[in-house]
Amino acid sequence: MSSHSSAYLATRLRLHASRLIKFPQLLEFIDFDLDRILAELRQVSGVHYDIEAVNAAPIESQLTNRALEDFLVLIRPFSGSDRRFFIFALRWFELVNLKVLIRGKFSGVDSSEIGDQLLELGSFADLPLKKLLQTDDPYEMLRLLETTAYGGIVRQARRVYEEHGNDLFLLDATIDRGFFIDLSQRARFLQRRDGEFVERVMGGLLDRFNLLWLLRYRFSYGLSAAKSFYLLTTTGQRLHSAELMALARLDSIEEVVAALPQPYQRMLAGTASISDMETIMEYYSLTVAADMLHKNSNLLAQTFAYILLREAEVRFLQALIKGKQLGFEIDLIRRAVGAHG
Amino acid sequence: MLEAPIEMRRLELYMLDRDAQQAALTLAELSVLHPLEVRPAEAEMPELPATSYHQVYHELNARFGKVANYLQQPLEEATGAAETVTLEQLRELDDQLRRLWARVSEMEEQLRRQHEKHGAIRQLVSSLQKFASLDLDLSRLRRRGRFLRIYVGSVPSGNFAQLRRALSLSGFMTRAFYSSEGLDHVVLFGPSRQQDEVQDVLDSADFRGLNVPDEFNGSPAQLQADLNRQSEEVATEIEAIERELAIQLATHVPLLQRTHDLLVQARPFASLATVLRGRGGLVFLQGWVPAHRQDEIRRALKRDLAAPFHIEFTRPGVEEYDAVPSLLRQSRLLQPFQALVKNFGIPGYREVDPSGLFALSYILMFGMMFGDIGHGAVIAAGGLLLWRRYPGISIVAGLAGFSSMIFGFVYGSLFGYEHVVEPLWMSPMQDPVRVLLLAVIWGAGFIIIANLLAIRNFLVSGQLEQVLFSGKGGAGLLFYLAACVAGYRFYTQGAIGWPEIGLLLLPLAVIMWGKWRQSSGAVFERLLVVFIEGLEHVISNVSGTLSFLRVAAFSLNHIALAAAVFAIAAMLDSVGHWITVVLGNVFIIVLEGAIVAIQCLRLEYYEGFSRFFGGKGKAFAPLKFET
Repeated sequence: MSSHSSAYLATRLRLHASRLIKFPQLLEFIDFDLDRILAELRQVSGVHYDIEAVNAAPIESQLTNRALEDFLVLIRPFSGSDRRFFIFALRWFELVNLKVLIRGKFSGVDSSEIGDQLLELGSFADLPLKKLLQTDDPYEMLRLLETTAYGGIVRQARRVYEEHGNDLFLLDATIDRGFFIDLSQRARFLQRRDGEFVERVMGGLLDRFNLLWLLRYRFSYGLSAAKSFYLLTTTGQRLHSAELMALARLDSIEEVVAALPQPYQRMLAGTASISDMETIMEYYSLTVAADMLHKNSNLLAQTFAYILLREAEVRFLQALIKGKQLGFEIDLIRRAVGAHG
Repeated sequence: MLEAPIEMRRLELYMLDRDAQQAALTLAELSVLHPLEVRPAEAEMPELPATSYHQVYHELNARFGKVANYLQQPLEEATGAAETVTLEQLRELDDQLRRLWARVSEMEEQLRRQHEKHGAIRQLVSSLQKFASLDLDLSRLRRRGRFLRIYVGSVPSGNFAQLRRALSLSGFMTRAFYSSEGLDHVVLFGPSRQQDEVQDVLDSADFRGLNVPDEFNGSPAQLQADLNRQSEEVATEIEAIERELAIQLATHVPLLQRTHDLLVQARPFASLATVLRGRGGLVFLQGWVPAHRQDEIRRALKRDLAAPFHIEFTRPGVEEYDAVPSLLRQSRLLQPFQALVKNFGIPGYREVDPSGLFALSYILMFGMMFGDIGHGAVIAAGGLLLWRRYPGISIVAGLAGFSSMIFGFVYGSLFGYEHVVEPLWMSPMQDPVRVLLLAVIWGAGFIIIANLLAIRNFLVSGQLEQVLFSGKGGAGLLFYLAACVAGYRFYTQGAIGWPEIGLLLLPLAVIMWGKWRQSSGAVFERLLVVFIEGLEHVISNVSGTLSFLRVAAFSLNHIALAAAVFAIAAMLDSVGHWITVVLGNVFIIVLEGAIVAIQCLRLEYYEGFSRFFGGKGKAFAPLKFET
């Protein structure tokens, strides 16, 4: 990247980073009504979001699209394997649609209802949504999906479906696993120094995924140690293969927590439920990303960290706005946005 | 040559709901209605009578498309008179097609599974062939030992590392003995008591294990034969499913043909789902129709609708021009040029359709830049050869080649030879400055015409301010004419006087005043904007005119290229000479011909269209019968 592009990107990143909403401020939003939330959002981002009283889908798409547009501006100066890495990373947003489709079709949800839940991704969309919605049964949809860029991930999801039936959590985990494996492979093509920083950001994310799914596979689904370990994704920052294999052999959640390396052991000590652990681990992985964004000067890693933080912000706001529109209780919204821990 | 799109009228049709479908059919048959969605009195007509019809049509159409993909032979096109299709008919067909598709989809899934199985057997055959590198008694695979369990097979390479670690948790050892085509061929062994747990992991890892039959005598050839037999069985099964699928489809061809025909008839009404509005049995439809077909529409509706109806045609107001679709006048000769114009944009409803002017100037410029009797004849002949397959390209190439030939006579050039044919005028090389000057004059004429067209477009769309103050309007034209006078004076007398400067400054001041009126913000900001945009106007006029120097430059370049070819040919013997001349001419025709074609297009788009042509019109898209 030329020095001109680097300066441009660094400036852009600073601008975008300054617009990220701090977590305590996001928590304050939970107590606001919808108009106030949108007004606050407008103040922070300068974007006016149109909202319909009964349907959250348009604003969910608006939030996603706005984020994707910003990401596109940020990744424009990159080229070659760096650019390919980011383009692939942004597929995460389309995976949301993929999950909605798979979940919906396997649960026998009406196509128009599934369509209402899909995000409108504009030029980022790769999936033939119209054709997929027109499929008459889940297997027809899977056959069509197998011809898309997500063919590999979908084949794994099909196997899980055939083995475990309609377990939506497992299907989600399988899709995420496939994505993380592919993303990690792409990260290996980055230049060594960039790759190291990116892996540091990604490491927290992968640790979170691996630990939580190890606990679920072992203690919620009762899978064997070997199978639980096999279903995990690429190893992350602190939980490497050896640690994960040792954890898989343990017989209770408490034993697993006690055997975790620091800081995870300290963070999770005394936490009883897996969903609480998920919130804590997510907060930690985002803290790692925030440190990378604000305290490091590697532009590639900073951009990736920004994408992670913005994605989390979008997810939080989408859940919050949907909860407000549906008139949920504050406590339920707190739980939905992961702010109960 | 310079006509606006066909004049339109807004059609407003009130009818009984039972006539709505027939009205759609009649209008589709005439191909005259561009449906219009927005309606001011929407609250008075809250019902959408065609919505459920559209939904069923849409589902049936999608299902039909899926089944039709499997047909080997295309269905026949619908013939006969248009007839209305009821919602019940659509529903009944949809039910039948749903059942048919369920069966087809099921067989497709069976085929997928069989193909997967076939792939797995091929993997095992491949594994078996690699056994030569292993010192292993295959008969041991058959025996389920009390303590030791052995697996042989293949696993996708991407899964191998994780699988190896995972199996170590169950006390299993793993060894890959061969890797190829994304597969690792592996041997696994470990305690028998863990085999259920291990099998579960192997399934997840997409492991394909080699099963040894009970009658196995230890010979790999027997195992190979067994796999071949399995492979043949699967292939036979695949053939059987495919045959069954073909039979299913063949027996349903009449159903599919009927569905196809009814879908064609149902489409016009279904596509009006968001346009048709109704209340209490009354339905309202509106859209744009060509003005000259009003009477024909009225007569056809009177003939086809059972109940009385009310129809009105109104001339669009100036404020509606942006919403009115453009129906360009069709001419076979101009069609390919219209396609190139549409590539830039569709003319607005009252804008001039520049296709005729574009065609004439494009052909003339091509000839000027590529004037050669021989090269033009080759291009024209090439165009004629393409007539059957690509008539559009054929017309453009034929006319461009012909123009090139005419200018070839004017320049006296035949396949690059300048002394074979006596020029009607002169070779450009004889007086390059004169040629360059003529190119500038041609460009100035081109820009003046573009300016006049812009003024005409502003006038018909009621943009009086643009006519007076815009750089593309009257002030812009006066400025450009003054610049031409000043340029002529400078060329002939070496200086320009105060009268010319005054003539230049006056319209420029008007243009800047117009920009001042349009701008907003702080005074300094507005001054800056006006100054920069004024300067930009001056520069763009100068650069635009000079841009036409390329017309002369390419005519000179054409001769220079030919001279280069002849210079190289002169260095060779007689065979080499003629080969070089032929290849050189081919090179000139292909490469320079393409460059000149693109440069002409560039001049048309950027120096012509951008001055007078918004290209923001909407294409007239009539309601019609379509599959």
